[in-house]
Amino acid sequence: MCPAPVTAVGRSVPRREGADKVTGRARYTDDITVQGAWSGRTIRSTIARGAIRSITLDPAFDWSRVVVVTADDIPGDNVVQLIREDQPVLAPRGGEIKHKEEPILLLAASDRATLEEAATHVRIEYELANPVFEIGSATEVFSTVEITKGDVASVERTADLVVEREFRVGLQEQLYIEPQGAIALPEADGAFRVVGSLQCPYYVHRALKRALKLTDQQAIVVQAETGGGFGGKEEYPSIVAVHAALLARKAGRPVRLIYDRHEDLAATTKRHPGVIRHRTGVKKDGTLVFQDIEIVLDGGAYCTLTPVVLSRAAIHAAGAYSCPNVRIRARAVATNTPPNGAFRGFGAPQSLFAAELMVEHVAEQLGGGVSSVDLRRKWMLRLGDTTATGQVLTESVGSELVLDAALKAATTFQPSNIPTVRRGRGLSLVFHGSGFTGSGEKKLSGTIAMEALADGTFRILTASTEIGQGTKTIFCQLAADALGVPLERVTIAPQDTSLVPDSGPTVASRTAMIVGRLVQEAAAEIKQRLQRERPPLRVDKSYIQPDSIHWDEATYRGDAYPVYAWACTIADVDVDTTTGEVRVTDLVTAVDCGKALHPVMAEGQIEGGCLQAVGWATIEEIKMKDGGYQNDRLATYLIPTALDAPRIRTVLIENPYSRGPFGAKGIGELPMDGPAPAVIAAIHDATGVWLDEVPATPEKVLAALNGAQRREAAQS
Amino acid sequence: MLRLPTFRYLQPRSLREALAMKADAGPDGMFVAGGTDLYPNMKRRHQEPRVVISLMGIEELRRLDGWNVGTCVTLSALSSLPTFQRSQSAVAGAAQLVSTPLLRNMGTLGGNLCLDTRCNYYNQSYEWRKSIDFCMKKDGAICWVAPSSPRCWAVSSSDVAPVMVAIGAEYRLVGPQGERLVPAGRFYHNDGINYLTKQPDEILVDVRLPAPNGWDAVYHKLRRRGSFDFPVLGVAAWIQWNGKKVGEARIVLGGVASYPQEVAAAGAALEGAPLSDEAIAAAADAAYQPSKPMDNTDFDLSWRKQMTRVYVKRALEELRARH
Repeated sequence: MCPAPVTAVGRSVPRREGADKVTGRARYTDDITVQGAWSGRTIRSTIARGAIRSITLDPAFDWSRVVVVTADDIPGDNVVQLIREDQPVLAPRGGEIKHKEEPILLLAASDRATLEEAATHVRIEYELANPVFEIGSATEVFSTVEITKGDVASVERTADLVVEREFRVGLQEQLYIEPQGAIALPEADGAFRVVGSLQCPYYVHRALKRALKLTDQQAIVVQAETGGGFGGKEEYPSIVAVHAALLARKAGRPVRLIYDRHEDLAATTKRHPGVIRHRTGVKKDGTLVFQDIEIVLDGGAYCTLTPVVLSRAAIHAAGAYSCPNVRIRARAVATNTPPNGAFRGFGAPQSLFAAELMVEHVAEQLGGGVSSVDLRRKWMLRLGDTTATGQVLTESVGSELVLDAALKAATTFQPSNIPTVRRGRGLSLVFHGSGFTGSGEKKLSGTIAMEALADGTFRILTASTEIGQGTKTIFCQLAADALGVPLERVTIAPQDTSLVPDSGPTVASRTAMIVGRLVQEAAAEIKQRLQRERPPLRVDKSYIQPDSIHWDEATYRGDAYPVYAWACTIADVDVDTTTGEVRVTDLVTAVDCGKALHPVMAEGQIEGGCLQAVGWATIEEIKMKDGGYQNDRLATYLIPTALDAPRIRTVLIENPYSRGPFGAKGIGELPMDGPAPAVIAAIHDATGVWLDEVPATPEKVLAALNGAQRREAAQS
Repeated sequence: MLRLPTFRYLQPRSLREALAMKADAGPDGMFVAGGTDLYPNMKRRHQEPRVVISLMGIEELRRLDGWNVGTCVTLSALSSLPTFQRSQSAVAGAAQLVSTPLLRNMGTLGGNLCLDTRCNYYNQSYEWRKSIDFCMKKDGAICWVAPSSPRCWAVSSSDVAPVMVAIGAEYRLVGPQGERLVPAGRFYHNDGINYLTKQPDEILVDVRLPAPNGWDAVYHKLRRRGSFDFPVLGVAAWIQWNGKKVGEARIVLGGVASYPQEVAAAGAALEGAPLSDEAIAAAADAAYQPSKPMDNTDFDLSWRKQMTRVYVKRALEELRARH
């Protein structure tokens, strides 16, 4: 008998870059020293809306030691290359200011003291205009989405019970551990190399080409070791990189542009806040008749990725449920606040929060002993069911598996023994589309390459980045097993656009599933060719949409995502009824991930996502003042510490997806979706009051408890 | 990144040497102990000493002699001493609630007792403060919390100071004019700028804690998280028991004024009677009335005021339960 081959997939092998990170050898952007580099900084607007009347450089200051870049110094288009062309790289003289902290001017100097002094000698005068801060008073619409299934209007009267609720969700900061930063280096032939903390090298590549008028070869983007992203380094690094390159171009030398935490918090994108209204009709027995949903998201001052965020929000708005008649109307509006952008979950946490609490409200109003878990079982999407966009789910539908697994894993509920503390339990069931929405993957056609080298090793070439989630490790595992070679013989090339093809951005829970599959396929092809050919060999592989996937962008009908990952989360909370403080004590989450390529990292990603969601649900609160964030420091923008984290238990369910690598589905964002509604449901279970909004701060919880008490007193 | 300005750093080995260095440096000199308050403040240009005189090398300040505690004893050391956990549990407990383990390893008792007052309009970078034209606590003329106010409303944010006032500790100060003993309650002013009665050239040498003798005290802290955060409300309660009755009592609030605020009426409401639910409610109500947090820390100020009642009640119930 020969021993079974040791495979890499499914084993929690050491992280590729792990030893460097824990021993301090990993070089993050600010760790990289560049001979002769100057330091740059950004001068930003102090008003929320208006026009720049004048920019004055104090003649008393010696400007010969400083490089100044204004919109006039942009050789290409003054546009941050993204979906719409509305956001300028730098606000032009006479141009409109749309939000606080909008970049106007860039400075660079050989030393920070000169730089900081120079900054105090720039005077900007404005013409003030009336800003819009509230969703309700916004008039400009970035985008709309309408999803229709069946006919809500014709069945409305057939419902025995119609429940209506409004939900609100707040801003959230990604709070990656490393702030934004880039270093731009001028090179021969008019090229610029930009090294930075980023998720999507080719987004930055396109932005550089556009603003600096560069060719494909002249723009070189290299990802430095990156301390987290969570979506926050999807689109914003384009701005940092273009700014750094503009300074380097004018200075004729390398320029470092590294944000400190305050600037990062004050100026960069946040999760879209929003208002979601639901009207749900059911029969007496709980049969779902219709869902009528309206979503309004606040995009902030510029469009950024808002239309795609809105799209994902709308597609997930009906929840993980099968309803014959659905109407979803979603719109994203503009306000004069800093632009909101990509953040783990990308609109889905907002709309799923409302959808999940709606199940609770319907169950409560139906009464008659029907629990919200019963309703979920009755409503949940199963194999062969049709989603709101008309997608028929043909495989890997884990709804029931995760519900059963979470219920089984949950410990026996123990009520609190402290008289002023009430304990409650809440549950949520969510799904999350893995990969780009609709025809996104088809349009993008992400590409990777694999090389078999003469020394018997193999190299993966991809623009997919490691931002803590494990890309480098997982890709090597996939390649090693597809090749049938030990893990040590596979390496991964640096994420440098002059070396690697455009694999698409590292976003949308797509890296392991979509790009990982390409790695697996390329490796399999190399293995086959090696039977006849000798190395060196190279195989390039691009994503080809399977014929079975259909999506109609115009009508929002069809296969919104290749597949969905599923999760059921059970949260236990303690609510202090005298203070309103909420403590999430225990969290169980069962996740259908298709296949756990690396169980420890999968669990880590899920636990991290759950804690991020618990923060959003309980303590992460951004206070606005005059269109700016009032708590834009780590001493005031608070996220949970280890002491505030619940005990989190993850149950991984392997329900394979035929087109995922070894069956895997994307789960990067999924853990952000479920905990918030579970926590709010648990608060209700504990206290009997509904909050319908996050964050559930003690002020709001106590006010709700006092309100309920007053109502009771008035009734008796 | 915020950077420290340049400064000279001196390491005296004795009190006398430290005082001489301070005399030489004049108003440009400042004393530092653990540095967990001063250095971040220097980065934000709240304090701009040209000469920083470290007290950490002075043996006398690191001494623990019975219930006399040198002010350079770290908060970690103070909170982990078994004798203190047993007999000065309010002091040890408050020390343990300061910030994080890392900062408690550096931060000292004296540093926490002299902690600079805090405010959302003050604990900001130089440029942030400049953008609002500064405030009266540093570089400016106005109080942004109460624009018509003649005085600064920055908040006393020490966890240990309210306990010291409540238990009636005494502070020993040494300065050019010699030595003086000051009751903790007279060490603080209700003024965000001049919040200490200590002169800049005086050194807080040690704290004399009352010996355990039929009294008990507790400290309860309100903040958003289990770590890091300064108190948005602190309640120190002290009772001198007389059998089953309260002989004397003091309730001191932290985080709601520019000094640890003793509410005499709350203590008086308890004296001469057993600690009944009614007495506790009366004391909590008496503490609630003068508790006037301003809108310059975390959380909504009306909620913080409401919490005064809850926290005073809790503190007193704890004292009752263990008597």
